[in-house]
Amino acid sequence: MRETPDASRRQTPDRKTAVGPASERAELSNVQFALVFAVPVLIFLVVVVAYPLAYAFYISFHDVRFFGGYRADFVWFENYAAVLVDDAFWASAWRSLLFTVQTVILTLMIGTGIALVLRDLPPGWRWLRALIILPWAVSPYGTGIFFAWIGRGQTGFGTALASAMGFDTTITFISADIIILYLSVAAAWNMAPLVAFFLLANMMTTPARLYDLAKIDRMSRFETFRHVTLPPLRYTYFVFASITTVLALKIFDLIFTMAQGGPGNASNVLTYTLYKTSFVNLDLGYGAAMSFFVLAFILGLTGILYLVWGRREDRR
Amino acid sequence: MIGQRFSPWLLLAIAVVLLWTFVPMYWTVKYAFMTKTEVARFPPVMFPHAPNLAAFYNIFGHDYTAADGTVYRASGQWSQIIAGIRNSLFIAVIVAIVTTLVVVPLAYVFARLDFPHKGKLLAAILLSVSLPPVSTLIPFYALYVQLGLVGTRTGLIIVTLTITIPIITWMLIGFFRNLPPIEQLGRIDGFSRLYIFARIIVPMARSGILVAAVIAFLFSWNEYVYAQVLSTASQAVTLPAAMSGFLFQVPEPSHLAASLLVSLLPPFFIAYFLQKHIAELNLA
Repeated sequence: MRETPDASRRQTPDRKTAVGPASERAELSNVQFALVFAVPVLIFLVVVVAYPLAYAFYISFHDVRFFGGYRADFVWFENYAAVLVDDAFWASAWRSLLFTVQTVILTLMIGTGIALVLRDLPPGWRWLRALIILPWAVSPYGTGIFFAWIGRGQTGFGTALASAMGFDTTITFISADIIILYLSVAAAWNMAPLVAFFLLANMMTTPARLYDLAKIDRMSRFETFRHVTLPPLRYTYFVFASITTVLALKIFDLIFTMAQGGPGNASNVLTYTLYKTSFVNLDLGYGAAMSFFVLAFILGLTGILYLVWGRREDRR
Repeated sequence: MIGQRFSPWLLLAIAVVLLWTFVPMYWTVKYAFMTKTEVARFPPVMFPHAPNLAAFYNIFGHDYTAADGTVYRASGQWSQIIAGIRNSLFIAVIVAIVTTLVVVPLAYVFARLDFPHKGKLLAAILLSVSLPPVSTLIPFYALYVQLGLVGTRTGLIIVTLTITIPIITWMLIGFFRNLPPIEQLGRIDGFSRLYIFARIIVPMARSGILVAAVIAFLFSWNEYVYAQVLSTASQAVTLPAAMSGFLFQVPEPSHLAASLLVSLLPPFFIAYFLQKHIAELNLA
């Protein structure tokens, strides 16, 4: 292991902190202790994560063909160059960005709303908390099915409601102009309860005294929310904005069961384009090159989020 | 707001939250109790007129005779559904156990000890959280073909662990950071690091560890992308992969809804258990 020389160097400062008889005996140092647990896992992760990455990297420099026998020709950066000028790819990148931003905003807003309601429940009604978290336990796959059926004009809630009120119209949410927003609503339905529970846990730690002070200052409900409730939650918001960003950019099953990229291309986000390139068109080299762009987007967006928001919260 | 009993606004807010939570679920779940003709009716019906359990009998391989003598035939995919439930349970339990055993010491080490290259190693774990499954599928598939792991439960367990281990390590690090700094005291008393970890930290962190196990179970139970590619139509088929037959190959809304409802039962029990403990697991 590369860590060995470091390990011996660390011995001296370590002994200073470890007072008492334990340090006299032959005993594991911090480093050794850490290595014993970390190394097997890291080897596992390297094998099962680095291997696919390396393989994808290798394939991304090749033009893979299946028809007329398997062939992989080395093509340098051709695949990457082709992705750069692929309009369909950039259109799907834009859809992904839109979907992600909407999902993050909706998830945090709805999560806050749910948390506020849960906080204000009178003691006898606390059992409602157990019910409200249920959507989080539903798989993205199941969420997609739920929202496909409730949103589609033919089977949907909108149409049923309209006909119950005597209108003879079909109301559908699975239409090209709003499908991305509708997907975001579904994703937010799935994720918001978890956010709500963490926000709630944080809200509980705000001393009730502060709310009394706010009352004395005659703050309005909104002012109380802004100046008393919100400030301690900012770090939690940041953490969940990051988690939701990553999940939203990665999500595939929700979109697969809900809209299959359609109508037309309207819900063709990055992961779906990737799926179609690699699994439907079997253009593996091109798909692999694309997947590195996707990975770059994910790391880039979370990086930006950290730079403009997280760093400020870390310092607090 | 605090200490106040029901105001009309609060009541309205509770109603909105309950509708938001349950209408999407209800809309699909009701199909499980409806007949084919009722499902196809337009405009769509809000409530099943004569709720029946035909779909549940059918997906488990039994015919169902309705009161009016109509016979609903067993689904051709019932063996897949039953295999799916068995496999999903088996895989999820193993994944939950292995993930917990691996992640708890790992997260502890990252949260509480200082060692060289810690930042880089942590970044590597976060990188693996960021990998979209769609882009690692083909490499995994190629690797699995060579190793003979396609269509096996072992293969699915391994691939699911690559998702659960990094993300749950990430979640638990914050949790361990918030525990009181007990190690120094333990060291002064002359306990070894291993003893402190096993006898002091683990019992203190019990609820966090339970939550980690439960989340690992849920991840595995709900995983669809890998399962669809690596297990469909094999011995190792999982419940989501088996269900997708009702969605794509032979659309069968009431069967899909029934199997979806069955698939929701374990997560719902878990969610109920989880909401009691989740407040103690502080991510930040």
